[in-house]
Amino acid sequence: MKKIIKQDNKIAKWMNKGNKSVMYLLVLIIFAMLIMSFLDSNFFTTRNLFNILNQQATLGIVAMGVAIALITGCIDLTVGNLLASTAAIAAILVSIGVNSVWVVLITCLSGLVAGFINGIIVVKSRIDTFIATLGLMSVYQGIALIIPGGNNIYLKSKFINFGNYRIGGIVPLPVIYFIVITIIVYLFMRYTKFGRKLYSIGGNPEAAYLAGINLDLNRISAYAISGLLASFTSLIVISRIGQSQPAMGVSYPLEAIAASVIGGLSLSGGRGSVPGVFLGVILLGLIRNSLNILRVPSFYQYVMLGVVIIIAVTLSNIGSSKKL
Amino acid sequence: MPAKNKILLEVNKCSKSFPGVKAFNKVDFDLYAGEVHCVVGENGAGKTTFIKMLSGALQPDEGTIRVAGKEYSHLNPALAHQLGIQTIYQEISLAPDLTVAENIFVGNWPVNRFGFVDYKKLFGEAKKLLDNLKIDLDVGVLVGALNIPQKQSIQIARAMAIEAKIFILDEPTASYSANEISNLLGLVKECAENGVGVIYISHHLEEIFDIHDRITVLRDGNKIATHGKNEVSDEKIISEMIGRDVSKFYTRKRVKIDYSKEIEFKNFSNDTAVKDVFFKVYKGEILGFAGMVGSGRTELFRLIFGANNRVSGDIFIEGKKININNPKQAINEGLALLTEDRQKTGLILEHSVEWNVSLVHLNNSSGQFINEGKESKNVCHYIEELDIKTPSIKQIIKNLSGGNQQKVVLAKWLYVNANLIIFDEPTRGIDIGSKEEIYKSMVQLAMEGKYILMISSDMPELVAICDRVIIMRKGKIVGELDREQICEENILTYSIGGTI
Repeated sequence: MKKIIKQDNKIAKWMNKGNKSVMYLLVLIIFAMLIMSFLDSNFFTTRNLFNILNQQATLGIVAMGVAIALITGCIDLTVGNLLASTAAIAAILVSIGVNSVWVVLITCLSGLVAGFINGIIVVKSRIDTFIATLGLMSVYQGIALIIPGGNNIYLKSKFINFGNYRIGGIVPLPVIYFIVITIIVYLFMRYTKFGRKLYSIGGNPEAAYLAGINLDLNRISAYAISGLLASFTSLIVISRIGQSQPAMGVSYPLEAIAASVIGGLSLSGGRGSVPGVFLGVILLGLIRNSLNILRVPSFYQYVMLGVVIIIAVTLSNIGSSKKL
Repeated sequence: MPAKNKILLEVNKCSKSFPGVKAFNKVDFDLYAGEVHCVVGENGAGKTTFIKMLSGALQPDEGTIRVAGKEYSHLNPALAHQLGIQTIYQEISLAPDLTVAENIFVGNWPVNRFGFVDYKKLFGEAKKLLDNLKIDLDVGVLVGALNIPQKQSIQIARAMAIEAKIFILDEPTASYSANEISNLLGLVKECAENGVGVIYISHHLEEIFDIHDRITVLRDGNKIATHGKNEVSDEKIISEMIGRDVSKFYTRKRVKIDYSKEIEFKNFSNDTAVKDVFFKVYKGEILGFAGMVGSGRTELFRLIFGANNRVSGDIFIEGKKININNPKQAINEGLALLTEDRQKTGLILEHSVEWNVSLVHLNNSSGQFINEGKESKNVCHYIEELDIKTPSIKQIIKNLSGGNQQKVVLAKWLYVNANLIIFDEPTRGIDIGSKEEIYKSMVQLAMEGKYILMISSDMPELVAICDRVIIMRKGKIVGELDREQICEENILTYSIGGTI
């Protein structure tokens, strides 16, 4: 008996932990890269590949937070406007000459607190999370305008390295952030009790509750982490564009959810893996980059991106037993 | 009376099997216009299967259903509706934001020449209908503002409005007060006098004897007998409901019970389903909880486990008062709850066997990091101990059979070494082999000096396993049977409101 159990361990582990969608995405990404390499010689260059990663780093970090909430069975639509709000805070701090370390700490703390408050409101109001965060999204849209008085705030050539420095002149810092954060979130969700609780809550809240898991506290924590990661991302964005803008980041929530679902997460929670989300983010970037290289006009890119999202999710759903 | 009336429904030799169970076996049944035909039977006798076949939700494997002179091999919901078969539920299928009148004529409102609803006519006709049925309600109020018995009477009125011929009422009076019950029975009689045939299913024999024209007894999917009005006593009905061979059932090893140690439950109540429950369980004892579905047993144990809010209730473990307000505290005090619906409330279906077995342990032990090696080893230990059949500990739990799933639920609680273990319908829907494993584990736990509580609707199981049985009815404890007194007759008599 013991022998049988051990033998099956590795293969079954790999296939069962939601890795079917990871495998499928990997194949899709490699396939797309092969095609692009034939179509355009500029594609498969170190520079372009790092460009893709660099472009996707901001969405990727936001998506990690959104994915944590999704796994817990909670939708978080606030991340985009929350990001714009903390961007304004960060930009003000930079422009009045606060030390960069303090800028990073204060901004991240404000994101964490905002996410925590989101969580409390969503959990305690018992409203559907989609609707509750839709409302909060509008609140942050207002806050992002109120803090800077509706203006763009310029960094005046300060705080540039945070989002633009390239290690050895090649590897952009945001790529490092993205990869490190992905690994931390992965280990966190996979090897800690906290991660296990979030999966259990998303999978079956009633069973989780009866197993002694504190539903509210853990859901609130998921929102807090999502807020934290969004605020961290705001630092990268303002560093890159040299300013904060009240309307930035609005596309993030839906793109992050799209990437997560492509990566195998379920909107109802409890399923999917962090590597899947990573690859989902990469796939979206790959497609956008390819369309750019192929000189597809940007208006058409939106249409194609949407079509690709729908096709990718449809394909990954084939074989699941759900009928409704 | 039936003989002179027109026959509405004839069921001929209908059967239905589910994997491992013959739920309905060559049953004949008929219904005449103007009669109330009651159907009685234990849980699992086939009543629900019967209703589902008549409402079109299930297809019989064999046999025919003849309605209004036409023969059908099976019905579907649309056809059943068309044939005038109406199943009356307590509250679903009404629109809460429409008025009583609008609900009664839903989808069939009278319109004026512009195509708008003619409210004057609508309200007038609704009023006439309610008066005719002696229902005392204002047709203009919103249905959302009504209580459950009122909503149910609106459903009956609606069924009358569309001139349905056959009404099916399944446990219509659950959670009703005496007054509400007599109102409903009056209404049902009124319908029958208007020529409707009523199939009335209930656990409450006094209701049955009040309202019946005929009574049919089902047991284990078979029709045992049909009796005419006042032809039969309640003892006879009870013996027909049970009447099976119990000698072949599981025989357990007896364990010496330590009567010096006890857990005492005092004064458990909530607003609705549970009223003033007191009881004790002794160390090493398996205490059974019997009663009909809806008697408040599951609710009681959710209160005890802290999963639902209670109005009152205290627990004393070996003399020491403990405080439980949520499941986490209950687990810390050594309580375990195996819920009645393992898929909905016991398992994280999309995750592995290992994950589910270690769920409670991980969440209630110290430290943040998971030691995967140690976890796997412990999980393997329980898989072997309970003989859980799974290709791997990483197997997704939803791919396991019901019996193995239930053993996983048990393993999850053995892992945390619980002291008081509550089994809610532990063997429902699982195969014989797994049943015996579960029984064996229960006896083993009793031998280790645990406190065991078991809710069950399976009477042979209660008789075979329990040291003592408490019977609940309408949220209260109505009887207690010692080892020598436990038998199906006694359990059933208390369950349906009798005394020994």
